[in-house]
Amino acid sequence: MRRILLITFIAVCASSRLPAQLLQLRITGLDGLASKATESADITLDSNLLQMAAGFLAGADKESKDGETLKQLLAGLKAITVRSFKFKETGQYRREDLEPIRAQLRSPGWSKIISSQTKEESSEIYTRIEQGKVAGFAIIAAEPRELTIVAIEGSINLNDLSKLKALGVPSIPVPDKKGKQE
Amino acid sequence: MFTQGIAGAIPKVMTDDPERFEELVREHQAMVFSMACRYLRNRALAEEIAQDVFLQLYRKLPSLESSEHVLHWLRWVTAHRLIDHSRQEKRRPQSPLEDVPEPAAADSTGSADPLLSEMLRDLVASLPENARVVMILRYQEDLDPMDIARALDMPIATVKSHLQRSLALLREKLSRTKGVGL
Amino acid sequence: MNLEDELRAALRREDPSLGFAKRVVARAQSRRAPRKTMPRFIWAVAIAAMLVIGLTATYEVRQMKAERAGRDAVLALRIAADKLNSAREKVVRREN
Repeated sequence: MRRILLITFIAVCASSRLPAQLLQLRITGLDGLASKATESADITLDSNLLQMAAGFLAGADKESKDGETLKQLLAGLKAITVRSFKFKETGQYRREDLEPIRAQLRSPGWSKIISSQTKEESSEIYTRIEQGKVAGFAIIAAEPRELTIVAIEGSINLNDLSKLKALGVPSIPVPDKKGKQE
Repeated sequence: MFTQGIAGAIPKVMTDDPERFEELVREHQAMVFSMACRYLRNRALAEEIAQDVFLQLYRKLPSLESSEHVLHWLRWVTAHRLIDHSRQEKRRPQSPLEDVPEPAAADSTGSADPLLSEMLRDLVASLPENARVVMILRYQEDLDPMDIARALDMPIATVKSHLQRSLALLREKLSRTKGVGL
Repeated sequence: MNLEDELRAALRREDPSLGFAKRVVARAQSRRAPRKTMPRFIWAVAIAAMLVIGLTATYEVRQMKAERAGRDAVLALRIAADKLNSAREKVVRREN
């Protein structure tokens, strides 16, 4: 935890003040992967859609803390992009496919705050700090049968985000292949 | 479980095309109406509720993603409407099955026995709300317990428990009636 | 004779009364159709009605978009949370 704070502090001091548009992460070079994936998620939400989402979620579950937490999380966000792929077999993508994204994250303004690498998989988390606050957040999670890229533009509290895993999606469920087991 | 239906994907313009929507209603009307009829033992009320379900479908259609989603959604909404209706109604008390008078002795000449069928429908309609809808989904829709659990968002163990107890009660009720051994 | 078979026979699906589907469609359509009887100030009423219908349609489209955006936002944040926590755990495990 201390190490993360130290890295973040250094990133604050070192980050140059480039225009926000130049610092926005563009997820490119992954177009062919969806056809190879057994499951994929392709989500792009701009500030307009995020505002609508926040309004809907607050209204959908007025009495729940979760709805309010989600609304607060979404309040500071300007854009969310997720590309996630699950493959039946390994070797469906190459590390080189991620280079255009990593190249952007090596530019001034972005700092890698968490990195975990093994022979088979890697997890990298980047933040962009502006005026002492997180203004951008990116994850590259590369596993043998799963690849996930997340780019979040805007202000977000990472501790609040990490608590989100228990939240479900309101509204009528879409049938999935897994059944409920007790 | 998949339904081929009119098309694999729901055309987004179906609400602008009355003929196609009518086709969709015809495809599913027997399921929805029968669920309501078996649950309520009242044809007029069952038709009314079935109409309401389809009107709700009409509004919801643009956000449903596939024929399978429509089928799942219809079962979900119909089941929950029926359960809510019987909770709100309170016209007749939720008498446990044990208190339902034993049916008159049936003519035990064969399985295609309209009197026995009538008895069974009455007995099923006397079951507690959740057990009733589980039995209808099992024996009208021929869903297996896993699919019922998914359709009702109910733990599979609960579904199986409802089935076992309801069948045991039905057998007991019928066996007390002279000449009916199942 | 088997109880489960008898139940299947007893609970077999049946259709509602004739014309059910047409009645449903008629009801659904009647909620969308514009009024046929016109009051005296036809143009003013027609324009007002069109505005209301237009705004309602826009509202409904917006509601659907909002619902879809809500679901996508929650999914996106859940995926992000999952990967964030996973990465943190891997780092902690390595340090320990």
